Amino acid sequence: MKCAEVIQDIAAAILREKLVDGVLAFAQGVDMSDIVPILITDEQDARKILIASYQPCSLAKLASEYGGESKKLAVIVRPCDARAMVELAKRKQLDLQNIYSIGIECYGVAREPQGEIYIFPEEMLVDGEVKHLNKEILSPSCLRCEYPIPTMADVSCRIEKDGNCLVAANTERGESVLSAAKITAQEKVKDISPIKERALKRQEKEFGEIKGMEPRERLNYWLRQFDKCIKCYGCRNSCPICYCEDCYLEPERLLVQKEEYPPEMLFHITRLIHIGDSCVNCGQCETACPMNIPVSKLFHMMSKELGVLFKYEAGLDVDSLPPMSTITEEDLAKGGVGLG
Amino acid sequence: MGKFEPRILGFLCNWCTYAGADLAGVSRFQYSPNIRVIRVMCSARVDPVYVMKAILAGIDGVLIGGCHPGDCHYIDGNYYTRRKAAMLKKLLEILGIEPERVRLEWVSASEGTRFAETVKDFTETIRTLGPNPLKKGKE
Repeated sequence: MKCAEVIQDIAAAILREKLVDGVLAFAQGVDMSDIVPILITDEQDARKILIASYQPCSLAKLASEYGGESKKLAVIVRPCDARAMVELAKRKQLDLQNIYSIGIECYGVAREPQGEIYIFPEEMLVDGEVKHLNKEILSPSCLRCEYPIPTMADVSCRIEKDGNCLVAANTERGESVLSAAKITAQEKVKDISPIKERALKRQEKEFGEIKGMEPRERLNYWLRQFDKCIKCYGCRNSCPICYCEDCYLEPERLLVQKEEYPPEMLFHITRLIHIGDSCVNCGQCETACPMNIPVSKLFHMMSKELGVLFKYEAGLDVDSLPPMSTITEEDLAKGGVGLG
Repeated sequence: MGKFEPRILGFLCNWCTYAGADLAGVSRFQYSPNIRVIRVMCSARVDPVYVMKAILAGIDGVLIGGCHPGDCHYIDGNYYTRRKAAMLKKLLEILGIEPERVRLEWVSASEGTRFAETVKDFTETIRTLGPNPLKKGKE
């Protein structure tokens, strides 16, 4: 069966079995290039679910908005959404016990809406013809992504070369989803090392370019980038981890005077300080940016650097808290001013 | 352009470093007059955003002073400060500003000499680094 059909079947089944009250997914809007998020509560509507090649917004953010104690949700996620949900759960913005995440294997989404609505692995048979993944259209953050398989989701769906879909349960809750949908789970081992390697190479290249600059040159580079900012707040609004209702960057909240905008560089730096340790590299900020500022690159770089420093990886384990809001036994044993 | 005189901002914790600075003053220890002090209740009160705001506004160096580990009046505030300072240094490095412009020091209430020495030393460090590249206007 094709991946979209499997997902649709699962969604219909869990709605029928009353496992969840609603399913969050993407559906088609007015035409093929218009993809919109949709909250499905009727099993008839499950057919609307699409596995789109474009991600207009983060479903993790919507899940924290629509979900709640009285409302159980299933969310059709990509690995970055699943990781963002883990990060939101750490910040008490959603309870993973109330949310079933159904993950799709993901090799990147397009930078802009595409006419053809499907995603595929490295290569795929379309009407008997082998098609290769066109990396040109991919969002830049996807090229740096090391997590093609949503192992943090309850269920993960794998797409085979011929377009068929294999399903695996990663948690007990995932198994209950599959048993409700009467789907047998398949083995879940898949070698992702080539993808990881490619992603790391890409990261090395992109981050290396910046790290290789002289400090002054680097500062001027960022100043030039931040200079483009028109303070539309798009990156903040689209970021799944930026959850504060009362944002620092709003007027009359200490940094910004009434009826004013945040000063040039401080806008991005404030955001970087707040969530730079937990960036999941979903790329929503960069997609939202009308001025093409490489925000996602900066945030991903920061989170990678801090990850090494604090031995932390965002979005994988709900029990390991963000480094800026926790201290460890190791910290208590150290006396100096540095962490090293 | 005159001789470069560093301007340093100090966030000092009320219970240790501020008292240490006070002791340095009362004991008449000589130290560089380049530091401007803001007293905070705990070094963990210093949001990294404040430090970045000061640096973006053109301050040459920021000194954060807290209690020695284990001595925090609020039990573990200074451990959080240490993490924040480590993060700030990384951030400055990524942005292309010298990470040495931010310095964290543990100074207890009885260490007046240590405070004076720290300020002297930090002022000299900043003097060798030169003015903050983000400083606007005439020097």
